[in-house]
Amino acid sequence: MNIHYELPLEEAGYSFGFLDEYAKKEVRRTILKAICIPGYQTPYASREMPMGRGFGTGGLQLTLALIGPDDTLKVIDQGSDDSVNAVNLRQFVQLTCPGVEVTEKLEEATLIQSRHRIPEVALTEAQVLVLQVPYPDPLVVVEPSEARRKIMHAEADYSRLLVKLYEDIVHFDEITISHRYPTRINRHYVIDPSPIPRWDVPKLDQSPALILLGAGREKKIYAVPPYTVAEPLVFDDVPFRVEDFRDEHGQRRACARCGAIDSFLDEYSDDKNAKIYQCSDSAYCDGQLAQHQQQEVKA
Amino acid sequence: MSNMQTSMTSHRLWFPPMQQQIFRGLLHVFSYPGRVAECTAESMTWLALLAALTGGEVTLADPHGLIAADIWPKLEARLTTPDTATFIVADGGRAMDFQPCIGSLESPETGATLLLRVAALGEHSEGGVLLDLSGPGIQGNTELSISGLHPSWLIARAGLAAAFPLGVDLLLCDDRRFAALPRTTRIKTGDII
Amino acid sequence: MSYVAIKGGKAAIDGAAAAAEFLRGHDDSGEPLKLSAIESQLRLLTSRVVSEGGLYHPRLAALAIKQFQGDTLEAAFALRAYRSTKPRLLATPVQDSTNMRCIRRISAAFKDIPGGQMIGPSYDYALRLLRLDLADENPEAFRSIGKTFLAELSEADLPDSFPKVLDALRAEGLLPPVTEGRGEPFDITREPLVFPVPRSAALATMARAETGSLLAMAYSNMRGYGDVHPTVAELRVGYIPVMVPHPVTGEPMEAGEVLVTECEVVAMYESGKAGSLPTFTLGYGACFGHNEVKVISMAILDRALQKGMQEGPVNPSEDPEFVLLHVDGVDSMGFASHYKMPHYVTFQSDMDRLRTTQGKARDADQAPQMEVKA
Repeated sequence: MNIHYELPLEEAGYSFGFLDEYAKKEVRRTILKAICIPGYQTPYASREMPMGRGFGTGGLQLTLALIGPDDTLKVIDQGSDDSVNAVNLRQFVQLTCPGVEVTEKLEEATLIQSRHRIPEVALTEAQVLVLQVPYPDPLVVVEPSEARRKIMHAEADYSRLLVKLYEDIVHFDEITISHRYPTRINRHYVIDPSPIPRWDVPKLDQSPALILLGAGREKKIYAVPPYTVAEPLVFDDVPFRVEDFRDEHGQRRACARCGAIDSFLDEYSDDKNAKIYQCSDSAYCDGQLAQHQQQEVKA
Repeated sequence: MSNMQTSMTSHRLWFPPMQQQIFRGLLHVFSYPGRVAECTAESMTWLALLAALTGGEVTLADPHGLIAADIWPKLEARLTTPDTATFIVADGGRAMDFQPCIGSLESPETGATLLLRVAALGEHSEGGVLLDLSGPGIQGNTELSISGLHPSWLIARAGLAAAFPLGVDLLLCDDRRFAALPRTTRIKTGDII
Repeated sequence: MSYVAIKGGKAAIDGAAAAAEFLRGHDDSGEPLKLSAIESQLRLLTSRVVSEGGLYHPRLAALAIKQFQGDTLEAAFALRAYRSTKPRLLATPVQDSTNMRCIRRISAAFKDIPGGQMIGPSYDYALRLLRLDLADENPEAFRSIGKTFLAELSEADLPDSFPKVLDALRAEGLLPPVTEGRGEPFDITREPLVFPVPRSAALATMARAETGSLLAMAYSNMRGYGDVHPTVAELRVGYIPVMVPHPVTGEPMEAGEVLVTECEVVAMYESGKAGSLPTFTLGYGACFGHNEVKVISMAILDRALQKGMQEGPVNPSEDPEFVLLHVDGVDSMGFASHYKMPHYVTFQSDMDRLRTTQGKARDADQAPQMEVKA
């Protein structure tokens, strides 16, 4: 034992983007291959990050491999920029990527990292969306062995998954999957689109922006390239349905804050146990409010 | 040849900021096949792309001897034969004379990335081809003109079309620009220009 | 109508950090823990974190233990994350544990072994009776412990290294000979595990696995979900010199030494390959620091996994995917903890589904019954 060893009290400084260059390059190579094989869960070595597995380390490694000083980053969790997980990740990137701008406004962002939501407003070709994934493989529910799942995916053999969905229909009269709805990409690989609600699944289809999905703990990266077919699994007589925001009178609920009737709503109970509905996408809600205020000023 | 490569190769090519920029260019051309990007590095395009991608455990084949001896250590890749390499750099003007790795059913990502040096991309020059492209990343159809690409490469690529997910992904480079043809892109060879 | 304020996340995080820090500082003694005290007086705890963090830096492991108030999962995690930031300078050639400077070395397979059974620092034969005199330890008495022990040490010369018990078994043909040139070991920090994995990948994964996870899996095998039936041929604890090639001459030189625990287990014999005699089978376990339960568990699992890979798994401890994907403490703890994160959008989606399904069930109850025609 070296009794003269002294602790490195002053950190020599992390490299830009925290990850060492080898790690970044490996992620970059994996991203490019993932784009070439849409929906395929491409394996990579997945470094340890200073936040826990399950807290978005996969998405974070994608962001750190992509990001440069010219980027403007938006980070959301459950649709909100101010959710604790989003705050934590954003602070980490600001700490390790000096010069990178951050924003809450979607239209200013070039890179968006998100957990469990896709923003309400459509993305552009100038943007890349990174989604955090806890479970990359939709076949896990019917096959525990990864080796066997890989063959099923390669042969586009999703018969067992379809049987599982069919059993749901027989039992409950419809497909009960709420979020993580299995979606077929480019007519081959079926992906778990991450725990986004059904509301967001249609945004994967023909998106102008590249969508990357990163699972840190499971060590997989997959991609939905721009302008690519993305179809949620359905049966001819059981259509794909998004969440229903109608009240008991059949009236579509509005956001209590901005009045929007076209966004995914979070449901809360206030201190008096009354139900409140509000836009999950907080930046969208801010934008709607700002528009109303402008209109009021004009009027 | 080695002096030419070293003197034409900017020092900055081997530093993280340039490599991140080049990577974003690669991300763009793979996401939107057929679009042509400018290489901002002061270096031969194919070398700039390789420098941004290789490092560590990557295997690289150089069947036409494009890479100068003193560049190899900087690339930090292991030299292997084209049939097993992750990356292959080749002269697209010559006939294809090897069989790259096309991956396996369980691991289609092991299909190689092939960098082909061509005369010109995106310009309608004499003797070139105009490709009609469709597929992921392309809204409807798009066109890409290439000159100096030997027909054997596209013929071989067409032969693999039905093998998806197995396949090889192409990166075409001229002196200043690059474009990508991932294995998912459908090509209808158009007119010879 | 009121709405929920959607700001305040940053303040919440800062408040949580302050509250945790308060608890760390809230000690009647008013004495901050010294890292040397953690490293020495809690050496086995430090060993555990060094091993699970996968980075040999006992002083930093002690720091992590101090920072995370004794949570070994968090401390190992912090060490692993720190390792992530360090560039790799070189990979050493395979090290030889026969050169270990042992502080402990025993065998259960034989009553006596060449070099002797050296029990060393162990609680194996101690009575687990609480020593209440430790409640209020006299600092002077504490400082004299070391002095007294060293003064009473005999002058007898111990050998610098001890032969391996297994080598004697190999010489007699009871174990298969060591096969040289097995290629590069699998690097689990650079390559993802894609099954089937080589044995080196299994061993590397287990070497930095969480002790309790390995123990539970190995225990299942010991109790009957498996048939390894192990005998500890040798267990040794000591310092292995780390030999690296000189950057100029290429000659091997010692860069330092690391504390390692190593266990070699002999298990049920199996028939030899065509033409050769049957031999015992071998299980191997090794990790940084002093952690005997971990290496014994690891050796048993090594044998169980080899059997599982050859013949197909019959029990969970023989299934490489089941074992190797669930024993990493950083991965498992991270994921368990992530359930505390907001999941309200997905829950909203779940509620929607359930309400729809309940609605349908209610409608079905209320609908007039169809007549069934015979």
